Amino acid sequence: MKSIVIPALLSLLFFLPAQVVRAQEAPYFVTYDHHLEEPRNLEIGTSATVGTPGAGQSAFFAPYMELEYGVKAWWTSELYLEGQSTVGDSGVFTGWRLENRFRVLSREHRINPVLYLEYENINEASHIFKEIVGNTGDADEPVAELSKTRAHELETKLILSSDIHSWNFAENFIVEKNLSENEGFEFGYAVGFYRPLATMASAKQCRLCRENFAAGLEMYGGLGSTLGFGLHNTTHYLAPVIAWQLSDNASLHFAPAVRLTDVGSPVLFRIGYSYEVRGFGRKVARLFGGKG
Amino acid sequence: MKLALILAGATLLAGIVVAQNTQYKPDPKWVAPADAAAKKNPLAGNADALGGGKKLFLRHCAECHNGDGTGLQDAANLTLPDVQKQSDGSIFWKVTNGNMKVGMPPFARLSETERWQIVSFVRTLKADSSGTGK
Repeated sequence: MKSIVIPALLSLLFFLPAQVVRAQEAPYFVTYDHHLEEPRNLEIGTSATVGTPGAGQSAFFAPYMELEYGVKAWWTSELYLEGQSTVGDSGVFTGWRLENRFRVLSREHRINPVLYLEYENINEASHIFKEIVGNTGDADEPVAELSKTRAHELETKLILSSDIHSWNFAENFIVEKNLSENEGFEFGYAVGFYRPLATMASAKQCRLCRENFAAGLEMYGGLGSTLGFGLHNTTHYLAPVIAWQLSDNASLHFAPAVRLTDVGSPVLFRIGYSYEVRGFGRKVARLFGGKG
Repeated sequence: MKLALILAGATLLAGIVVAQNTQYKPDPKWVAPADAAAKKNPLAGNADALGGGKKLFLRHCAECHNGDGTGLQDAANLTLPDVQKQSDGSIFWKVTNGNMKVGMPPFARLSETERWQIVSFVRTLKADSSGTGK
């Protein structure tokens, strides 16, 4: 019962009514750019990855919740809680992740590096596909069986990102180490670009203005591991991405990702909603008697 | 799960404590390079752009600088002569790059046009008659 309740709650959060979205937020789901959360702001996000069934596979629904906090202008920290439900099978809580991103250079440059460090305490039933690394395994076992295998993983990324004439170009190089099993170091990548549909803000408050939309393309996949580097038996996706700023604080993202290789779900539909609480840290500090 | 909540709570609280600047202190080293400071605002005098600049300012800047630009505890009072005497190019450079040492985030994710719109709006903020600011 508990295994069904948690994904259901995550799903409920996902479908909560929207109030608002943050403008100019990158529409990427997998690729990271160099823009971090503003200091003391808290962004609450709910997203889901829906996988269509391939040969011998079942469709799945993998919701997750993100809490992203701007610790400093150069440091953003984020907690993920995730679940998964497979059609004709069961639903489970698949674990949590804690990530940190650090800007290396204090000013804007042609290429802006960001270091990313994440600890994952998940199980093998995890299907949110926040990144794709290594080779594609055989995951056709029942969810209940997969969820018994825990994975403590460390993931690092080198994020390179550039803003050129209202376009953003981002490249991520991923290295992941499963501390629970000897799988070597697994590698992956994500690259993308996007642009807002209009570059000048209008004076009026509007929801459907072009300035509230950003669109682009991202591509991501695995690159094998130290046990076998290369493209053999790896999964790669190409996804158009779009973001819609619903208001000053809220945004909606959507991306259908199409598989480019023979393994994995043929199509991943991703949708996400995020709400930003501005000055969250200041407000909490005031609660505890700080000056805020 | 319990460990996740404890870790998340600890990170959040540590972050909030670390992030608090209790008093604004101007950074004398935060100066735009000469070529950036010399740039002219391509939207100067554009009334439509100004309206959008106000909207952007309220959305992205007012949390720290206040809606009227007078600044909260750890952010600059933008109405002061020290700010207003700076060139458009200099303010544009500061909006673009931020000053991460003192908590001012970079806003390069906004388009160049939008950053110039913000500069246009900052120019309309009235000078503080007391001259003291915050």
